[in-house]
Amino acid sequence: MANNVSIADEGKKQFIVVKIGGEQYGIDISYVDNIVRMQSITRVPKVQPYFKGIINLRGEIVPVMSIRTKMDLEPDEITDVTRIIILKLEEHGVLGILVDEVKEVVTLGPDEIDKVSYDAKSNKNNFINGVGKNGEELISLFDTNSIIDETEAV
Amino acid sequence: MDVSQYLEIFIDETNGHLQILSDCIMTLEKEPENMDVINEIFRAAHSLKGMAGTMGFKRMQRLTHDMENVFQEVRSGNMVVTSGLVDVLFQCLDAIEAYLDNVKESSDEGTDDNEAIIQELNEILADGTGNAKEEQKKPEPVEQKRESGEEKYPRKYLEIEFSEKAKEELKEAEKKGMHIYGITVFIQEDCLLKAARAFLVFKAVEDFGNIIVYNPSSQDIEDEKFGVDFSFYMVSNEDIHKILEVSQAVSEIEKVIGEKTTFGELTAAVEKREAAEAKAAAAKAEETKASEKTVAAKPQAAPAQTTQAAPAQTKKSTPGKPVTNRTVRVDIEKLDALMNQVSELIIAKNSLVSIGSNSDSGTGGANSQAFHEQIEYLERITTGLHESVMKVRMVPIESVVQKFPRMIRDLSKKLDKKMELHMTGEDTELDRTVVDQIGDPLQHLLRNSADHGLENAEIRKKRGKPETGTIHLNAFQEGNNVIIEVSDDGNGIDTENVKGKAIERGLITPEQAAALSQKEIIDFLFMPSFSMAKKISDISGRGVGLDVVKSNIEALGGDVEVKSILGEGSKFIVRLPLTLAIIQALMVEVRGEKYAISLGSIETIEEIQPKEIKYVQAKEVIHIRGMVIPLVRLDQLLDCEPDDKERESLTVIIVRKGDKFAGLIVDELDGQQEIVIKSLGKYINNSTKIISGATVLGDGEVALILDVNTLF
Repeated sequence: MANNVSIADEGKKQFIVVKIGGEQYGIDISYVDNIVRMQSITRVPKVQPYFKGIINLRGEIVPVMSIRTKMDLEPDEITDVTRIIILKLEEHGVLGILVDEVKEVVTLGPDEIDKVSYDAKSNKNNFINGVGKNGEELISLFDTNSIIDETEAV
Repeated sequence: MDVSQYLEIFIDETNGHLQILSDCIMTLEKEPENMDVINEIFRAAHSLKGMAGTMGFKRMQRLTHDMENVFQEVRSGNMVVTSGLVDVLFQCLDAIEAYLDNVKESSDEGTDDNEAIIQELNEILADGTGNAKEEQKKPEPVEQKRESGEEKYPRKYLEIEFSEKAKEELKEAEKKGMHIYGITVFIQEDCLLKAARAFLVFKAVEDFGNIIVYNPSSQDIEDEKFGVDFSFYMVSNEDIHKILEVSQAVSEIEKVIGEKTTFGELTAAVEKREAAEAKAAAAKAEETKASEKTVAAKPQAAPAQTTQAAPAQTKKSTPGKPVTNRTVRVDIEKLDALMNQVSELIIAKNSLVSIGSNSDSGTGGANSQAFHEQIEYLERITTGLHESVMKVRMVPIESVVQKFPRMIRDLSKKLDKKMELHMTGEDTELDRTVVDQIGDPLQHLLRNSADHGLENAEIRKKRGKPETGTIHLNAFQEGNNVIIEVSDDGNGIDTENVKGKAIERGLITPEQAAALSQKEIIDFLFMPSFSMAKKISDISGRGVGLDVVKSNIEALGGDVEVKSILGEGSKFIVRLPLTLAIIQALMVEVRGEKYAISLGSIETIEEIQPKEIKYVQAKEVIHIRGMVIPLVRLDQLLDCEPDDKERESLTVIIVRKGDKFAGLIVDELDGQQEIVIKSLGKYINNSTKIISGATVLGDGEVALILDVNTLF
């Protein structure tokens, strides 16, 4: 409880740290509805290539996206630790993202986040809006909205 | 007290009355002598005026009042209905509708006085009757009615008993120089919301004074515990005629009677009544005779009349009571919630079914037999429940299409073309949400037919067609779809012209154009901002028509098809799904993937030999029962892995859309199931629309729903 109060006080944010490829990425926890184990994904033909398909999440149909395909990385390898992060955005509904592994939850203050200064046109980095420092490790922070906006625009 | 709670009723009723007026005026134009129609119009206009008045919408009241004047003259034969009059009347209806729209949005009628229309109305009135002072005409018929109505409407207010407190109040008021009025209001017997009517009457008269006593009590009136009438005494400074008029103006009020009295007369009457009652107990027969004599006499003969009125009341209220409400207003959201729950129930039932079929092989015996019977029973119930909920949500398309005759009439004047609209199947029912949204697309199609389709009279004559163009709107059910056809006998679509336009706009090259089929050419018309009109009119031609129609209809899960013969006319066929949520579907398997196909579009299922497949224009077809049906290999269509084994026979599902057929080759059939349609969500770009949704199966697996209509 005390922890939460301090977060609010200092403008800190919590991120779920996930592994995709060799890198660590952070997802703003306020967008995360749920994290579920890998389950059978029903392929939907004739849609964007980065959509793996849809899953049944407690009776709801949730589309699942491969962030790897979207970022032009090598195809997903499904392992025991593969998870689907269910994101929820008020107007857009829910969306699942495949990640290789879920590591931990970190709390980052504004001074621990650096803005990225890459060329914004570079496709891969379009989805990153900052780099967080967690001790010695660097975490690329996803811009959740751009993942979704990009999807819609296609 | 506040009228806002009656606003909804007001809006509903005004809509109703407007529709009646619109329909009747249309009829009137054709049969100007039809007295029934004129009377109906008069009644509706009168009710409109009354309702607007009670709700305090003065501008609306004024306009309707002037309309009523005109109808009054028409009714009494002083005026003839002319086309000009009908035009003005329609303008009035539009103006009232505008008021109503304002009311809907802001609970206020707005500030438009519509002076021009009122002026025009009065001019017509003056011309038609040669009497410019029409204003004074109106109260007369009411006056006459009042007198003739006396016998039928006993003065029941005379029966009211006064408490000491009420007596005091009356006495006080009289001292202050106010008048005491006794009033009895009779509500129409078929009135559904008597309490609301009573409230509106009270609301109206309370502008003029205070009501002192009620009979029945105000609580009973509020709870609708009364027959068709109620009485009250009030004190006011205003003239009684005024009060009677405003209360009479409330709609569904049959009659209001009342008169001025004094406190002295009242107390005398009460005493007399008491005396009379005592007497009545002693000598009933005599009293009855006496009372009958006194009825025709003075109002002071109150006690005598009481006895006569009492049996009348019992007689009247008995038939009044059984008029119970047969309908209930329900918020659409509640129905949606109910529908969702039924959907969940069906999913739960489906999982029970699948558990049941899995346990088949294991422990057999009586237990499993009973289990199956129960599941079958459950299945029947859920299917029935689903149907009932669906039916509740179904409304006839009438509410949408009924405004079209009027629209076509207006268009006919505007475009200076003669045309007629014929409608059939107005009673065809569709899901409420579909009906709400189908109005605009249909309107577009009709305008399209009127503007682009139909030629003007000269050309029609030259082509040997009747001068008056005809537009048909036909609605009917076909399987799980409702079809609405809009057809005209006009020019049809000039495909060469469309081709030219497409080339001109750089959409295609002339070489490509030559190879296009008629359907492909017509499809250009559905592209955004592709307009064929030579000149832009305010009716159509801005190029924001057909593409909007198409997208609106597709958003509802339907589609549009066009058939056209140059010189003979064109037909737009709108196909809409009957239900939006739950359908009966055939489950099929293609390379292990499960797909659902709506049973409504399936004709037959055939087993064929691979060698039966023939080729027409390098496309696979089969020849079955005299029909050549193109084949679609679902595995190829859905980008599945190629088939590794050689099959001896193929399962072909023959699906149908209108009069076209197609055969879908699938790997396996999984039986029929009731499925709940779920959307794929906004993220997936499902541009081909082959997949119309997904559904959760009994075992939790997800299956995709194939929309076979997109295959044609």
